[in-house]
Amino acid sequence: MTATERQLAMVMDLNKCIGCQTCTIACKRLWTQDEGMESMWWNTVNTQPGRGTPRDWEELGGGFRDGAANPGRIPTRKEFGQAGDYNHQEVLFEGKGNGAHLQVKGDRPDWGPNWDEDQGDGEFPNSYYFYLPRICNHCTHPACLEACPRKAIEKSSANGIVTVNEDRCRGYRFCMEACPYKKIYFNEARRVAQKCIFCFPRIEQGIANACARQCPGRVRFVGYRDDQDAPIYKLVDKWKVALPLHPEYGTQPNVFYVPPIGPMRFDENWDLDPTKPRIPNEYLESLFGPEVHGALAVLRAEMEKTRSGGESELIDLLIAYKWSEMFGGFDRDPATFGQK
Amino acid sequence: MLASYLPDTDLEVLLDPDASAWRAGASETLPLTGTPLGMQPTAAIRASWIDRRIGAVDEVRVAALHNGQGLAFRLEWEDASENNDLDDNTSFPDAAAIALPANEDSPIIVMGKPGAAVNAWHWRADAPSQAREISAEGLGTTAPVPGSGIRAHGVWKDGRWRVVIGRELESAGGPMAAQLRPGTQTGFGVAIWEGSNQERAGIKAFSGDWQILSIEATGGAGGGRK
Repeated sequence: MTATERQLAMVMDLNKCIGCQTCTIACKRLWTQDEGMESMWWNTVNTQPGRGTPRDWEELGGGFRDGAANPGRIPTRKEFGQAGDYNHQEVLFEGKGNGAHLQVKGDRPDWGPNWDEDQGDGEFPNSYYFYLPRICNHCTHPACLEACPRKAIEKSSANGIVTVNEDRCRGYRFCMEACPYKKIYFNEARRVAQKCIFCFPRIEQGIANACARQCPGRVRFVGYRDDQDAPIYKLVDKWKVALPLHPEYGTQPNVFYVPPIGPMRFDENWDLDPTKPRIPNEYLESLFGPEVHGALAVLRAEMEKTRSGGESELIDLLIAYKWSEMFGGFDRDPATFGQK
Repeated sequence: MLASYLPDTDLEVLLDPDASAWRAGASETLPLTGTPLGMQPTAAIRASWIDRRIGAVDEVRVAALHNGQGLAFRLEWEDASENNDLDDNTSFPDAAAIALPANEDSPIIVMGKPGAAVNAWHWRADAPSQAREISAEGLGTTAPVPGSGIRAHGVWKDGRWRVVIGRELESAGGPMAAQLRPGTQTGFGVAIWEGSNQERAGIKAFSGDWQILSIEATGGAGGGRK
C-alpha cells in the first residue's frame, strides 16, 4: 500500500442530528438501489444508547487489539435487518378500503436499521437519547484492507477513500469479519462485498457527499484533514472537539463526532441541575474514548462564552452560518454533476 | 495417476460424472490436509482460524480421462452437507479445484511465483455447471485466464459430491495456463473447500506437493504410462 498523501474526512455534530434519515435516503437513492442491495444501508442513523445496526455490532469483534488483528464475526442478514416485502398491491389497488393495512408479507422482521428508535436510556424525567449517524470510516489503518487475501480493498493515495475493487473481490467476506464497525455488506447477487464509497465520483467533481449535502440539520462537515483553513482541521486538530468513534478499535477512523451535550438534568425538586450531565459522561467515554471529557469541557466553555455575549470561532463553526463553508471547498452544486 | 486416452469420446459426455467411461477408468484416492495456518496471507485470517480446524474434507477420489483434445478430472468426496447457496452472509459454497503447473518451476504450495504460474480449474457449488480458470503467481494473486474454454458439472447426492472439470489440453490462455500434451507428464493437485466450515480462499483441504499425472499418448495404448 502506498502512503496516503491527503486524507478526506468527515465531522458529524451530534448536537444537531435530529434523526430524520435524510442522509440515509440520499445515500440509498444514489448508490444502493440495484439488485442484491435491497438490504444495504451504507449510511445508517441509530438512536443511542441502543443495540445498533447491525444488531449488537459493538460485540462482533474485528479491528485491532494491542496492535494485532482481533478476530471478528460476520453479521447475518437478520442482524443487519432485511428489507421487508410489503403488501402495497393489496392496500393500494385491490379496493379493500380499511379492510387492509400496510404490513410486511411473510415473516415479520425482528430487527432493522434503527429498530430501537427513541428507546434511549435513563429514568424519567432524566431520560435521554441522541442520534448516531454512521458511514464507513475510511480508516487510516483499515482492518478490512489488511484482512483481504486478494488485495481487493484499496485506499486511495490521493484522498484516502477506501473502496472495494469488485473485479478482484471474490466474496470471501474476511473484510466483514475484520471491520469492527460492521459497515461492509455482502451483495449475494453480485457475490462481492460492498460499502460506502465516500461519494468519490461526486468528490472528484468538487461536490460534497450526498449524505452531507442533503443534511437539513447542517450536521456534517467534509474536507481534507490537513486543510488548516477549513472546518475539519479546526474541529479535529485545533479545537479537539471532534473525536473518532471507538478509537480503541485501532483502525484510526476518518469520521469524527462532536459529542452530544444533551439537555440539562432535573434534580429531585424538578429544578435544573447543572452539576451533572443528563447523558452520563461514562457512556460517552465508552463511545468516544477518554478524550471526550476534554472535548465536552471545551464545548461547554465556548457555549458559555457566547451566552455571555462573547465571540467564539468554535461555536460559529458549529452553527454553520454559511452551510456551503462546511464542505472544505467541495461546494459545487450537485445538479452540475458531469458538466464541464 | 494416468489420464487414459479415450478417442472419439466427446468432452461433453465426460462432464457427466456418471458417464460409463468414468466407471471403466482407474481412479485413486488422495489424502488431503488443511493448509497451514502460518501460510494464510493475512493476520486477520490467521487470528480468526487459530483455534479452528482448516480442511474439513479428509480425502478425495480422483480420476482423469482425455480424448486427445480435451482433459477432464473427476473428483468425488464425502460431504454430509450440500452447501450450494449464498442464503446468508455467513453461507459459503462447497468448492473444488485442480491445480496444474504452467511452468516446470511452478511451486504449488505458494500458488506460483512470478514467471511460474499455478493454473487452477475452479468449481463452486453455487454455480454447479460452471467453472472458472484462474492462474496465480503467488498467494492472493489469482486472476481469470482469458479465453478459457473450461467447463464443469457437479452433482451432490447421498452425502457425496461428484464433480467433473475439464478443458482443452492446449489452452488459449498462453503462458499463464498449463499447456498439456498427450504422451507427457505433469504435476497436479486437488483442493476442496467445505462450505459448512466457512472454508474459502486459502482456507481449504489440499493434496500437498505436486502429484504426477501421465497423459496417455494418442499413438498407442499406454504410451504415456509411467
